[in-house]
Amino acid sequence: MNSSGYNRVDSRIVEMLKKIVGSRFVLWNEPDKMEPYSHDEVADKRYMQMPEVVVKPRTTQEVAQIMRLASRKNIPVTPRGAGSGLSGGAVPVYGGILLSVERMSTILEIDKANMVAVLEPGVITNDLNLLLAEEGLFFAGYPMSVESCFIGGNVAENAGGGRAVKYGVTGRYIIGLEVVTPEGEIIQLGGKRVKDVVGYDLIHLMVGSEGTLGIFTKIFIKLLPLPSKRVDLLVLFKDIASAVALVPKIIAFGKIIPTAVEFMDKTAVELACRYLNEQLYSQEVGAMLLIELDGNDEAGLEREYEIIGKMCEENGAIEVYVADNATTQERVWAVRRNVPEGIQTFYPVKSSEDLVVPIASLPEILPQITAIAAKHDVIIPCFGHAGDGNIHTTIVKKPEMSMDRWHEVQETVRVALYQMVLARGGTISGEHGIGHKRKKYIPMVLDPVTIELMKRIKQAFDPHHILNPGKMFE
Amino acid sequence: MKIIVPIKQVPETSNVKMDPETGTMIREGVEPIVNPLDLYAIEAAIRLKEHAGGEIIALTMGPPSARKALTEAIAMGCDDGILLSNKKFAGADTWSTSYVLSQAIKKIGRYDLILCGERATDGDTGQVGPGIAAWLDIPFMTYISKIMEVAENEIRCERMVETGYEILAAELPCLLTVVKEVNFPRLPTLRGKLRSRAVELQTWGPVDIDAQPDFLGLKGSPTRVVKITKPQVARRGKIAAPKDEGELVTAVDGLIEFLKQKEIV
Repeated sequence: MNSSGYNRVDSRIVEMLKKIVGSRFVLWNEPDKMEPYSHDEVADKRYMQMPEVVVKPRTTQEVAQIMRLASRKNIPVTPRGAGSGLSGGAVPVYGGILLSVERMSTILEIDKANMVAVLEPGVITNDLNLLLAEEGLFFAGYPMSVESCFIGGNVAENAGGGRAVKYGVTGRYIIGLEVVTPEGEIIQLGGKRVKDVVGYDLIHLMVGSEGTLGIFTKIFIKLLPLPSKRVDLLVLFKDIASAVALVPKIIAFGKIIPTAVEFMDKTAVELACRYLNEQLYSQEVGAMLLIELDGNDEAGLEREYEIIGKMCEENGAIEVYVADNATTQERVWAVRRNVPEGIQTFYPVKSSEDLVVPIASLPEILPQITAIAAKHDVIIPCFGHAGDGNIHTTIVKKPEMSMDRWHEVQETVRVALYQMVLARGGTISGEHGIGHKRKKYIPMVLDPVTIELMKRIKQAFDPHHILNPGKMFE
Repeated sequence: MKIIVPIKQVPETSNVKMDPETGTMIREGVEPIVNPLDLYAIEAAIRLKEHAGGEIIALTMGPPSARKALTEAIAMGCDDGILLSNKKFAGADTWSTSYVLSQAIKKIGRYDLILCGERATDGDTGQVGPGIAAWLDIPFMTYISKIMEVAENEIRCERMVETGYEILAAELPCLLTVVKEVNFPRLPTLRGKLRSRAVELQTWGPVDIDAQPDFLGLKGSPTRVVKITKPQVARRGKIAAPKDEGELVTAVDGLIEFLKQKEIV
């Protein structure tokens, strides 16, 4: 037993795991191969932890057997998708077994009559959408790490992303789950039916539970017909204020619901453009909006983008670019998608935050973020999903600041940012999740009664606290 | 300065699928776009116009739907567009295509410069630009990476070659094919898009351009596609996988020995 109260993984346990999944699919004593399973996309190395053993099951039965073994032997299990998370959710904080669903990657069924797809958790979301596109369908959940992330992780984190303005987040499209409980039971929640009010809605308790309540082995998602036309407007503004002030107006006055309204401040645009060698940036650009519309009627879309484009021009846009084909669309989205890479390349020491406020409050919080950055001598590039009020404020260390000072400062800045959004009816994470990165801040957001209820839910599902321990709550 | 930019509408090729039976591309469901390399020619033309004034005409041969390529070019900053569309043009190879384009250019009349992309991303031949110049009997310069100076009757350019750059000059009118290094194409603006909707594009057929009927389309094309095959790539790799630090030196030595044998180092 180690200090955390869990048992260590020894050679006997490893042998049993090998019996369950086959020896090729167990990694033990191979630090080089196991290292990738010790972290997600959180840059700070302090959040890393090596697993004791990595197991890659192929079937639901194998997952159930692993959970039963872990329950019996009191060994923690951390489920993992593609590891593209941003809150440490897939990091095995207490070592133990890292259960990767990477081999459970089959698209089991695309049921066109019911407009449902049934997937294993390791399906890459992008692969699914490529396949669905051939059928004229799509899955409307659209996280930004779309080329790598797994559907299992999307559900576990209730991933949001760019298109939430119009289509909402992942959870809206999850209508059924097969789940292995922490004690190794297999349960089926929901299915292919659109309506279901029998009992508590456990599906949506599972969605966003960050791998702490069960392991998804089958996921039933609702499909939509793929709109045949798409237009993106990339709008340059001279300052943040005019860009952000426009966002609530598009829906309120334009009477148009865009698929996405993405926002990038000056630093974010500049770093992404430098990283991509893209020449859209110039000194006079103070912020960018990327507005996407979709539909099936080309003339209708042209009218809509003209209305929005003119609103932009009337509200101080320097230039409105129109991207209505694959070449130009890829170019404008590349800027937005590569903001995190741009920041990472030029300022590797950073902390990515995921603040969210009601969208009408956006214009007032951005100047406050600037003030917080100036007060604490850090840089805070802001970008993200302005259309749903979700702004990725990235706290960035200036190169000249010492690491000791940085650790202190980032903590102060984070708390200041959290207090600011909470005061405006916002919250500390819109889509990245809590994991172990943000768990100590939960009491800032939720009242003690709510936290206690949540802990009791956890207790009901996982009485031995072996599934993804060390996450969500202290 | 009057500039003509012949462009081509091509399938968007990032997700192209091939028909394993026929060896040809499956075009169904593939979005048509302006040949990405033509965007550099359009941009070069717009920059020359911004500098010296004048007029830019985009020209394309294709099905009626190719007018979209012309409106995109106008949205970027071209003044006008001419669509060469007729069943008799269909199936043309580079010889016949460059003939049709050159006839259209003759009809346009006086011009100073023709700017083409290096090649199209679908056919990949790079022959149409020089072909047009040959039909028109004007000088041409290919692989242009920089337009250095445009004087009254002369243009000086930098051409990218494998060993470096060449500086070339030609009398006007002439034709250039440009490479990616020449500039950074702009995105179409809202103003440009609205303007492009208002421009009435002309469509010309064989009679309009006074074309010889037996030079047109598949029949007029000397090229014959006899067979399409997919080359088999048979590369055998050598993997050095040391299990621990002790084996590292031996593995690296082995790798260097291998590279020496292949006369790479």
